[in-house]
Amino acid sequence: MRRFLSLLWLSLLSFFTFSAPVSATDSDYHEQLNLRPLPLSSLLASFNFRSNTTLSEFEKGNFRFFPRSLAQILQHAGTRELHLRFSLGRWDAETWGARPWNGAREGGTGVELWAWLEADTNEEADHKWLTLTNALSGLFCASLNFIDGTRTTRPVMSFQPEGDHSAVDNMQLLYGVLPHEVVCTENLTPFLKLLPCKGKAGIATLLDGHKLFDSSWQSMAIDIRPICPAGGECVLQIEQTIDMVLDIDRSKRPRGNPIPRPPPSEQLPCDASKPYNSHDTCFPVDHTNQEWTLSQIFGKTVKGTCPLADEAVPPVCLQVHHSRSVFVSKDVHEKKNPDGLSRCFHISPETDMELMLPRPDDAEAASSSTSIIAAETPLLYAERSFTGHGQERGGVQTILRNPSPDTEVEFIYMESLPWFMRIYLHTMEARIASQQPHTNASSSASSYSSLIEQVYYRPALDRARGTQLEVRMRVPPASTVFLTYDFEKSILRYTEYPPDANRGFDVAAAVITILDPTTQGQEAGGKELAAAYTLRTTSLLCSLPTPDFSMPYNVIIFTSTAIALAFGGMFNILVRRFVAADEGPEAGLKVLIAKLKARVKGVKG
Amino acid sequence: MSIQLPPDDGAVTSNGPVAGAEPGSGVVSNSTGAKKLAPPEKPSDVRRRSHIILSFWLIVLCLGLPIWWKTTTIYRADLPLQEMLDWSDGKACRPVFPLRISIQANALQEQEAQNLLRLTQHALDDLNDFSGHHLRLQLAPPSTTEHAGSESVLTLRLVPGDTTTTKFDPHQPILDITYPPNAIPSPTSSSSALATYVAGQLRATFAEEQATISYLLSTNSIPPDHRAQGLSSDVSDSLAKRTTRSLKYAPTYHLTFSLFTSGPLPSDWDIDGAIGAYMKPVLDVLSPIHNFTIDTQVQLYATPGVQNQVLNKEDLSSFINAAEWPLSPSIGGAPTVNFIVFIGNQTIATSSQDPIDGDTGSPAAASHSWLIPQWGTIYLLPLSHDTTHLSAEALKQPLLTFTSHLLSLTGTPQSGSLPLRLSTLSRIRSADLLLRASSTLGSLARLALALPSISIPSRVAEGVSKTMHHLRLACDTLGGLEGLAHARIAEAEAERAFFEKSMVGQLYFPDEHKIAVYLPLLGPVAVPLVMGLLNEIKAWRKRRSERAEVGEGKKKE
Repeated sequence: MRRFLSLLWLSLLSFFTFSAPVSATDSDYHEQLNLRPLPLSSLLASFNFRSNTTLSEFEKGNFRFFPRSLAQILQHAGTRELHLRFSLGRWDAETWGARPWNGAREGGTGVELWAWLEADTNEEADHKWLTLTNALSGLFCASLNFIDGTRTTRPVMSFQPEGDHSAVDNMQLLYGVLPHEVVCTENLTPFLKLLPCKGKAGIATLLDGHKLFDSSWQSMAIDIRPICPAGGECVLQIEQTIDMVLDIDRSKRPRGNPIPRPPPSEQLPCDASKPYNSHDTCFPVDHTNQEWTLSQIFGKTVKGTCPLADEAVPPVCLQVHHSRSVFVSKDVHEKKNPDGLSRCFHISPETDMELMLPRPDDAEAASSSTSIIAAETPLLYAERSFTGHGQERGGVQTILRNPSPDTEVEFIYMESLPWFMRIYLHTMEARIASQQPHTNASSSASSYSSLIEQVYYRPALDRARGTQLEVRMRVPPASTVFLTYDFEKSILRYTEYPPDANRGFDVAAAVITILDPTTQGQEAGGKELAAAYTLRTTSLLCSLPTPDFSMPYNVIIFTSTAIALAFGGMFNILVRRFVAADEGPEAGLKVLIAKLKARVKGVKG
Repeated sequence: MSIQLPPDDGAVTSNGPVAGAEPGSGVVSNSTGAKKLAPPEKPSDVRRRSHIILSFWLIVLCLGLPIWWKTTTIYRADLPLQEMLDWSDGKACRPVFPLRISIQANALQEQEAQNLLRLTQHALDDLNDFSGHHLRLQLAPPSTTEHAGSESVLTLRLVPGDTTTTKFDPHQPILDITYPPNAIPSPTSSSSALATYVAGQLRATFAEEQATISYLLSTNSIPPDHRAQGLSSDVSDSLAKRTTRSLKYAPTYHLTFSLFTSGPLPSDWDIDGAIGAYMKPVLDVLSPIHNFTIDTQVQLYATPGVQNQVLNKEDLSSFINAAEWPLSPSIGGAPTVNFIVFIGNQTIATSSQDPIDGDTGSPAAASHSWLIPQWGTIYLLPLSHDTTHLSAEALKQPLLTFTSHLLSLTGTPQSGSLPLRLSTLSRIRSADLLLRASSTLGSLARLALALPSISIPSRVAEGVSKTMHHLRLACDTLGGLEGLAHARIAEAEAERAFFEKSMVGQLYFPDEHKIAVYLPLLGPVAVPLVMGLLNEIKAWRKRRSERAEVGEGKKKE
């Protein structure tokens, strides 16, 4: 495990050393598409666009690669660093392995925004945050303006600035999340507009709302941070990332005939290792079905390169073993990387690039493990779900599993819950799921208590702010930890329910930031807690007791009737004279009939 | 509502054998002949019933109604409606622009100069037909050389020469007039060619300002006696065009320079240097009236909304691809002026007799650029395909066009020297703001009168009183920078009062809603109350007539 970690660290290092010369050279724009086949006929496509502007040009308002619309917002809201995420779907870590970018470029379902604002007081920060969310809401056609006080928190441990900041004292971190927001094409269009080549040239031509939002999982990220290289001028960097996991079978379906049909039996790949495999019996193996072309899965080819992009960076990279053959169109130059697992392609500016990954040859197919690079095991698996029943109380349970056989994982678990989920902090406990739950109770009890190292809790205020819970805890090697707590559901006011109140209320994903063990030694000196890996759980759907919404009118009518009854009765008793039944004038149906008869007689007579 | 017993006819049964008061009751009593009669009611009971009904009604009328009225009434702050309407009708302020023009005639004797001044003033007064705009001449003390005084808008420098010529100083508001030596009028003469000439020149200088101001007044329902009469229709047409073209006044404008190209090149331009060289001087001159903030951007792969090679007049309005071009206005609150350089070799069809852009002097510029009213300018710049960098020299012509369009967009007059045009601009702007604020006040007053159910918060009343205070100050100090500042505050306050959020929210609350809420409660409660009262009144009348009958019967006995 240690070797694995050091490998990871090395790859991280190589990533940074690779990116450092890019920012130092003249070219201020860089784009790359990384294609990685995943098991079960999935394909991870990571688009990365990065552009820089010097801080002096930024302050003067001269924008070349940096989008003006976004820069104006940053200047107006005093934002030093900004992170915005639009995500959809669930990353299937069991099958797909570790997340791209170590989870640093993804968000929970819906929209997530966190930013470091320049502010001396909390009020000033809140004011700037309001400006920022409203302006971004307009720019990205998202409901970001609904990030109000109840959805905003100020995380203490979970997030650290990525950029280089000279004065950290007057910066405030605010974090807001909208789990209910549905990400769709109208968010992609402004995202593409921010790119210098506008999706008209280069790898961005592949991005299309139909394909992007049809994927199994996707995440759009915008990261803006100042970077000060040693001895150089500070630059403001905007990095736009789109990661998506495409279902190859689904993408390859023809548009005119989208109903899936089984392939003819002679084309069906069979698992020959099964004992019952014969000419008429077949156990299909479809996870090796990595056979596609770019135009099949994206619906189009890459149209040349963006002329502004750094020519040294290959625009497209594919991660398959060198033994597999890959066909590309003319004028595209393949360059195999020394690691033996990936290759990159240089495109000349005017050509359309088509890439074809053919079905592996028969000899290779036998060893199906080599057709796809094995997925990296993530540092931690996390699942979160609701427990309990009824409309009054509930519980949350998070199952955290450390797959490593020998390394402990230390992380920060952050929840930002809506105010109508009132958690009982005293019920929070973390326990190790052991094979024999009832034996050895005393020794395990002592280890339970040390699972949670630190808790930061900011209780909710009704209708003013949500709960913020940050737990620093660890999971021992090869074990599973259950983190549970109970909560109470409060009853909302009539107008606080959304139009689709019976759907339930989305609870934002929990953010798990795994701390980098190599930097923990320096922790005593600075506050820096570098994140080695970030993951988010899925969001939850909490159902609250929902009233009948015609209630106010019923109440008005019911009370009115009750009051009128009481008043009428009392008033009549007070003003009427009571006499014996045969003493008063006759009343009722008989009188009416008699009256009618008399009238009829009168008419006849 | 529940009535267990039939209504009792009280006094009727107590007094006599008559069984029923209603006309139908005779039938009833006939059919049931064996019916017993209730014993007569005691007079004290009758009196008590009347008291009960009366006290219920008293409680409803004296306690219920006032409480209901108090809790459901809409707060309407007192607005000085009449005064506000006076402002909008132009009765409260008569816009007068006293313009002082100092005459420097160092070569003349004091006496001669005074005489010339008197004659010129006479000639001016004869020419002037617009009382709101008055030129007042004064003699500058000969000692002062350059600035004759800060309160004068123009300095007239009379220099002896060979012929009568007129020349504007390009940097200061100074008009140089040379005159031949024999043109000095004698102290006794009542007319002089020089005086008439000077008056004519002054009048020509200020003609445009006068026309603009009188146009502004005429469009803002100012009584006609304050206006100039001779405003011909084509002059007022061109003024209308220019007024609609110019942006609404704001203390700060945001200028956005954008380079759009349909392909990947050029991706770099030296806009910073070009602005510094060609536009900055004008921006500096405008700085007393407006502040400017600037940003620039480069946008590649931008396809215009119109693909034609030759652009017709109709194409110009749809040339901007609003859906794709990132031309979002600035978010700081300052109005944005867009200047776009589009790299392309499209040409504008010049066959049209009415050129869109008649203001730019050179025909070359006119065929490459057009102005979009209240928005900005587009300049088509043809370039060879392999140009990667756009130098400052290449941007000279576009930026000069932009500069002249900026002046037109800010509403600066066309004629005269630049300093004079700017001082004119400040006067036109203050008149414009003053009229705008007044008309907003009038609209607010009319709104308050037209919608009796609209609530008027106290903030609106405060805003109105502040507006009127500053309007009064602006009206008194019209023509100077101070007046402009007051007019600006007045306009902002008036807008704020008019667009008060809480007023808009309650605009539509129809009476049907109130009925729907009140009826389930008030209906069932009101019915027994009203019925009780009616019965009581009926019984009281009957009692009175009975008593009268009894009295008559006694008299007969």
